[in-house]
Parts: sequence; C-alpha cells; structure tokens
Amino acid sequence: MSGLEATSSSLDVKAEVRRANAFLAEKPPTTGAGTSDLSIDEELNLHSIGWEPVELVSGLSVFSTPAGLWNWGQGEIVMAGEAHQRAFVSASQRLHNEAAKVGAHGVVGVHVERQVYSTHIEISLLGTAVRPVGAKPVDASGVFVSDLSARDFTLLMVAGWQPLGLASGASFVYAPRRNVGTALQQKSQNVELTNYTEAMYSARETAMERMQRDAIALKGDGVVEVKLVEGPMRFAGHAVGFAVWGTVVRLTKESHHSVAPLKVVSLNDTDVAFDTAALA
Amino acid sequence: MSDVTSDLPQATGHRLEELEKGLFTSDLSVNEFLLIKEVGFHPVGFVMGSSIYHTGIQTRKWGQSLELTKLTEAMYNARELAMTRMEEEAAELGADGVVGVRLTVNYYDWGKDAAEFIAVGTAVTAEDGVSRLNKLGKPFTSDLSGQDFWTLLQTGYFPQGLVMGTCVYHIAHRGIGQTLGTTGQNVELPNFTQALYEARELAMTRMQDEATQLGATGIVGVRLEEKSHQWGSHTIEFLSLGTAVLKTSGDVTLAKPVTIITLDG
Repeated sequence: MSGLEATSSSLDVKAEVRRANAFLAEKPPTTGAGTSDLSIDEELNLHSIGWEPVELVSGLSVFSTPAGLWNWGQGEIVMAGEAHQRAFVSASQRLHNEAAKVGAHGVVGVHVERQVYSTHIEISLLGTAVRPVGAKPVDASGVFVSDLSARDFTLLMVAGWQPLGLASGASFVYAPRRNVGTALQQKSQNVELTNYTEAMYSARETAMERMQRDAIALKGDGVVEVKLVEGPMRFAGHAVGFAVWGTVVRLTKESHHSVAPLKVVSLNDTDVAFDTAALA
Repeated sequence: MSDVTSDLPQATGHRLEELEKGLFTSDLSVNEFLLIKEVGFHPVGFVMGSSIYHTGIQTRKWGQSLELTKLTEAMYNARELAMTRMEEEAAELGADGVVGVRLTVNYYDWGKDAAEFIAVGTAVTAEDGVSRLNKLGKPFTSDLSGQDFWTLLQTGYFPQGLVMGTCVYHIAHRGIGQTLGTTGQNVELPNFTQALYEARELAMTRMQDEATQLGATGIVGVRLEEKSHQWGSHTIEFLSLGTAVLKTSGDVTLAKPVTIITLDG
C-alpha cells in the first residue's frame, strides 16, 4: 500500500489528490477479495447466480452554476438543468472507469447523492463493482451501473432481465409570480393557479423526457425504481426543480422467467407483512 | 363533485409519445415489478397528475362546530384535478389501470393559501389483452403496492378505483363558563367528541359513496388522515382513502401460508 503513508500536519490537498490518482492508476485488476458495502445476505445472493463483488467504487462531480441564475427570469433555467445533467454524466463516467479498472462488469447498489446549491450542483455516486466469478475485464463502456441493491440485481437476473445503466433527468423552472391585482382578486376564491401548475408540469415533463432519452440511448426496455425529487429550492423560492433517475433494464432471455412467489408468514417481530426473501 | 377540465397541459405530449413506442418507466421496486409480471400485467409508464390550487377563505364562528364547505370543496376539487390528469395519462397510454398511486399535498413559499396536489403511480396493462377498465370505462386506480396488488389478486378480488372522502370541519371553542365548570373534573367533552365524530362520518360516507358508484363490494387498505394543514388548531381535514374492490373470480382456494423464521437481523 505504497500510496497511503501518514499525511504531514499541513495538508497539501493538490498533492493528496495527485497521490490518490496515481494510486488508482497503478492498481492492477484485483484478483483476490476487495472491499464492498454489501451485506452477507447480498453477497450470498450474488454468488447464487455466479457473480462476485470486486471493489467499492465511486464517482463524484461538481458543476458550477452562474451567479444570480435562480431568481429572475422566465421558463426553464436551462443552465441549471444542463449543469445537473453534466454532473450526473461525468460522475457516472468516473464510476464506469473505476469499475473497468478493477476488472468489474458492473456496479450495483449505487447510492445517488445530489446537492443543489445556489452556486453549484454536486452529484456523488458510490457502489460495489461486481463481475461474474473469474470473468475477464471489459472496457469502461461495457460496464453497467445500477442503483438496484445486490439482492434486487439477483432477482432481476433470475427473472431474465439485465440492468443496463442509470438514466437521469432534471429540470428547473421559474414559477411566475402572480401580479398584485390577480392575487387580490383570487384571495377569497377556490381556484387552480394555472401558471404554477404549468411551470411544475413543464419541469416534470422535461426531466422525465431526458431520463427516457437516456433509457432509449441505452437500448433499454424500461426503467425501474424511478426516484423523484421535486419542489422549490431553499435558496430560490420562485423556482421549482424536478429530478428523476432510475435503472434501465432489458429483457435478455427470450421470455420473462416467472419467479413463483411463496406465501410466507414471518415469525420476526417486525411489522413487515410480506417478506421478499422468500422470492429468491 | 367537480367540473374537471379535460386537457392535459401541453408539455406532456412528447413524453407519452415516447412511452407508446414501447419503453416503460415505473417507480416500482424490483419486487413489485416481478410480482406484477407474475399476475399477468406489464408496466407501461410512470404517470402523474398535479394541480396547484389556491384555497379560498371561509369565516368560522368561534363557538360553532360546522363543516367548512368551501374548504372541503377546494380539497376535493384539487385532488380530483390531479387524479383525473393522472387517469388521462394512463388512458392515453392504453393502460388498464394504475397501481401504487400516491396522493400527496405540498406547500410552497409562493403563498400560504396555495398547495400542490400530486397523484403519481405506475400504469399497467394486462398481458392477456382482456380489458380491465372499471365500470365507468376508465382505467382502475389503486394505492396498493405491487405486493398488496399481487396478494389481493390471489383472493379473487380486483381493484376498481382509488376512492376518497374528505371533510374540512371547524370544531367549536368552549365557552369560558363551560371551561370553568369542568375544571378539576373527569368529564367527557361532548361538543368536541360530537364534532370529530361528525367530520369522520362525513368523510367515510363520501368515500363509500364513491365506491358504490364504481359498483364495488368493498374497500381495502383504508387510511384515515387528520390534518390541520395551515388552518390553525380548531380546523381539521379528515381524509379517508382506500381501494374499492370487486370479487371477479369464483371460489378461490388460498394456499396455506408457509411459516418461516428469517435469518435476517
């Protein structure tokens, strides 16, 4: 572990980053056990379909947004949506590269963390690289990335589906202010605020469409476990943001394989009424 | 209950077109996805409807318990708008129904009287090609999860629609005389009890009426929510929500559940 000596008291950040990069670059594809954040159950699940965890990999990207972007304007805040998209793409590109470097075929259980600040957008991805036991390395473009847990990944593979990658989309839109006259007039009425509704819709549709475009580009059949985050930002009361992401999947066997669930009654104390472990 | 405008905002057009070409999107977990495939359905798209609504003002009498019809109407109207838009998206995709519907209310800084009502869910179609539209000729809706949907179908019942009832109620304050009179005593406060009962009954009855309209024989998974939203402590909304179901297949022999002890922590 030549790259990890104790750091001196005055920390030189740039040197640290260079050292970390060099360390990653030198590293040959691992052959033995690596680190992973999988539970024992998940590891066993993976092995049951002939896959193994390789290494914990991560990708991070920060994109800046111009000052004053969030407060005044009309329609979509194009630059914010773009920054989000590019941050997501480059973070996942880094994840692909790291995974390929350690000889993995895919990354599962990716935690997606996103932060939107008034000055920058930050996307961080962290997951466990996996591969079929003893498989040869593939190049970065052949690696899949998925936010499904290892258990979900196993289930999908058993049913004949394969994850292809993450699809994401985001859009930020100004919510137009009502003028004083309209606001006063509507004070005591039950009315739909159509201008806000339309702003919300446009953010949502644009974001969803961007995600779908990603999915189509990956030649997927569909997107599962779509997560959505929406609402105004703390620092910009008159803008709404909408972000979605999910795992693109494709049916790889000739037909969907039935998983035939069993009805079980768990004797655990928890109030989980339906235990999915029985499906595996 | 409401006169709903039937046009989806324009922006939806393109996204739905893409979905019609065969790509599906869904917020189902992998478990739910597989279970829905298991009972012969296929997800077609993540559908949603939303409406940002300004709630009017209604004066309340300090010492009087009564329903605030204007507010009730607003809550109904806004939810109907969101639900109808979601159903329209599903219908546009040729779906038979929508599962895993979540109906939520968000408040924004734009104004404290305005709230966003959102309905989201996953539209599904039957793989056997037999239409599962409900009595009103619309896609069925249900707030059941994929797991619950699978389990429900095992019992021979089929969801018909998400039904709801709501009632915004003002509960009278007690007079000073009354308050003083009961200080130091164990006593039921009949005016409070009565008011809460009435509000709850109104909401439940409205939900049942919706189910009857759908020709359903029961409602499962009913949730009763009490919220004050932003109206202050003496004004409460009772909302009851559930999935109306109808028995569609004859006798079903239910498999005996297997008892297990999981090895998970």
